[in-house]
Amino acid sequence: MQIKLSDLPFGATAIVREIRTSAHNLNCMGLRIGKELKMVTKQPIKGPVVVLIGELEIAMGLETAEQIVVETTGTGA
Amino acid sequence: MAKGRHVNLSGAVMAVEGADAMVFSSDARWEMVDAITRETVTYGTYKYTLGDVLGDLTVKPLTGIPVAFAALYAFWSVFTSFAGALVTDGFMVKFFDGFWLPWMQSVWPDPASWHYFLFVGNPAADTCFEAFGMLTSGLFVSIGVVLPAVFVFYLMMTLLEDSGYLPRLAVLMDSVLHRIGLHGYAIVPIILGLGCNVPAVTATRILETKKQRFIMMTLLALFIPCGAQLGIMMSVLPDLVGIVMLCLIVGFCIFGFILNKVIPGENPEILVDVPPYHWPVKEYVAKKLWNRTMGFLKEAVPFVLFGILVVNLLYLGGVIQGLANLLEPVFVTWFGVPKETVGPLIAAFLRKDLAIAQLSTIPMTTYQMVASVVLVTIYFPCVATFVVMLREGWKELIAAIAVLFVVVFIYGGIIHGIGILLGVA
Amino acid sequence: MTEGKAEKNIDLPEGGTIVLMLGNPNVGKSALFNRMTGANAVVSNYPGTTVDFMSGTFIESGHIYTIIDVPGTYSLEPRDAAEEVAVRMLRDHPDATVMVVLDATKTDRGLYVALEVMERGMPCIVAVNMMDAAHEKKITVDIAALQRLLGVPVVSTTATSGEGVRNLAEMLRKAQVADIGAIAERLHGEGQARESVRGCDGCGGC
Repeated sequence: MQIKLSDLPFGATAIVREIRTSAHNLNCMGLRIGKELKMVTKQPIKGPVVVLIGELEIAMGLETAEQIVVETTGTGA
Repeated sequence: MAKGRHVNLSGAVMAVEGADAMVFSSDARWEMVDAITRETVTYGTYKYTLGDVLGDLTVKPLTGIPVAFAALYAFWSVFTSFAGALVTDGFMVKFFDGFWLPWMQSVWPDPASWHYFLFVGNPAADTCFEAFGMLTSGLFVSIGVVLPAVFVFYLMMTLLEDSGYLPRLAVLMDSVLHRIGLHGYAIVPIILGLGCNVPAVTATRILETKKQRFIMMTLLALFIPCGAQLGIMMSVLPDLVGIVMLCLIVGFCIFGFILNKVIPGENPEILVDVPPYHWPVKEYVAKKLWNRTMGFLKEAVPFVLFGILVVNLLYLGGVIQGLANLLEPVFVTWFGVPKETVGPLIAAFLRKDLAIAQLSTIPMTTYQMVASVVLVTIYFPCVATFVVMLREGWKELIAAIAVLFVVVFIYGGIIHGIGILLGVA
Repeated sequence: MTEGKAEKNIDLPEGGTIVLMLGNPNVGKSALFNRMTGANAVVSNYPGTTVDFMSGTFIESGHIYTIIDVPGTYSLEPRDAAEEVAVRMLRDHPDATVMVVLDATKTDRGLYVALEVMERGMPCIVAVNMMDAAHEKKITVDIAALQRLLGVPVVSTTATSGEGVRNLAEMLRKAQVADIGAIAERLHGEGQARESVRGCDGCGGC
């Protein structure tokens, strides 16, 4: 199932399928198409999204997360 | 050197831009990176450690926000109990007021002379705050009050920096800071600014756009008191620190919001690495603490002494009295503070801690004290901050100063207005 | 804002070599710098601690090296003013040797900027730092294989304990220009041997 990264539930894992915003900065942080990531937290009142990609933990703004399409692979525990 | 050669790695298209070097497209580069890591790096099964659990807990809002408040509170209690109660009140005040001041007053010749006024100050003073001589108040303020405060402050800041907490705090603060033209990572210059505005101004370089850097620099210069200033406030006005900080935080948010609307430019979202927690390395902490404390002794102490010299000379020359009379209408009717606060405002350009010490000796109502302390904080950056801001760009500095004057005038008036409404002004 | 002017002067001793440190933020460049030069650069655990450059010297086997510690950068397309400082330093010192510092736990991310530097044809040496953290996380980096693939010296270090720093200093003189085409060929060759699906497109590279 393909959803926006911002809609990925807590603890769920997914594979990055598409980056609809400028990808360079995200790539440099380690978020690239084909990488598996795990949702760590979404902050309230339109706050940032924190994901885990392997060893990397990165925080990004909500609008950025809305531009990233992922395919869910697991819901987590 | 390869001359514009096309290389194809598993079908990826290479872009050749320069004629004298081989340049890859970023996709091709990433593909090479993946190929290299496939060959050289192996990931074993890895168990969650305590650090990772803590990392999760401190970045999730439900647990992270209470932890942030707890950290803030711990910070504050250590700060006040160690620096304020133990060192300053328990030792320094007794030493400076009980021995140093009477001794200076007894051995320095000729209490009526100009040099007595410059170095020892008021011959009738009972405390080192009132005396206001270079060797009495100067040494007392810098070494007796501010040094213990900044020492504790630097220690706590170092622990915050070295543990890896700052990026998590940035994530928690992002929602607020993104609405005032910044993003969460602006917490780094803010926290550094609470120690000293000088490194904080340079640290604004971690923000992406000119707009963000300008807003951050202006807000730093306006609303972020430095460690030395906080230290002296804790010592001389312990009951008013809370309300002063509230005024500053509210001002920070209001004018950040306005600057965000007014200044053209982009405000990109946060995108930051959250590193795993580390136990701070003892020798790094010690080294950093030593460097920062020595930096304070080398740069701040002479400045405090110099500041007193300048202010005393201006008093001797009648300049301050003249300015006070000239500015009386603005001060009394617009800001609602006594005209005597002109002296401290001049001292504030050199050292904010000195200005607060000087303010504390002027008889004022509680409202006047709060208003004048807030004014001293926001009215102008100290000379050291001024210099680093100049280094980051003179156009920005001029614009920042223009904003500053407008903000001081408006916000000073607002505080006075609120004071009148509350019936305290 | 700050482009085109040096805030601090770098004294270059006679016959010395300039070594530019480059790598992602928060990989321990400043810690390595302090270890090698005995300097007092500020070290913290958050990306963006170093926002300005700093230089220091040391002598290894009678040769003088001037090391410049620059702010961390994710790529040579600067995202903020701190990264601009790093890219500017690289531009201002075209004859320098580049010491690329990688975080052993995040090798892939650091290799990107490493490749960008190698494309510029500057002599390189790679330090794989934070080996202790990698060990804790059960990550192994095959240093010999990395060295073979990249064709430049690769040294493993742990700046916090000082492990490997001496070796890094000694290896500096062996820094060399990487042939990016050759790297691609080596990768291609090894990749082909393992994955037959990846066919050759008949490019100019091989």
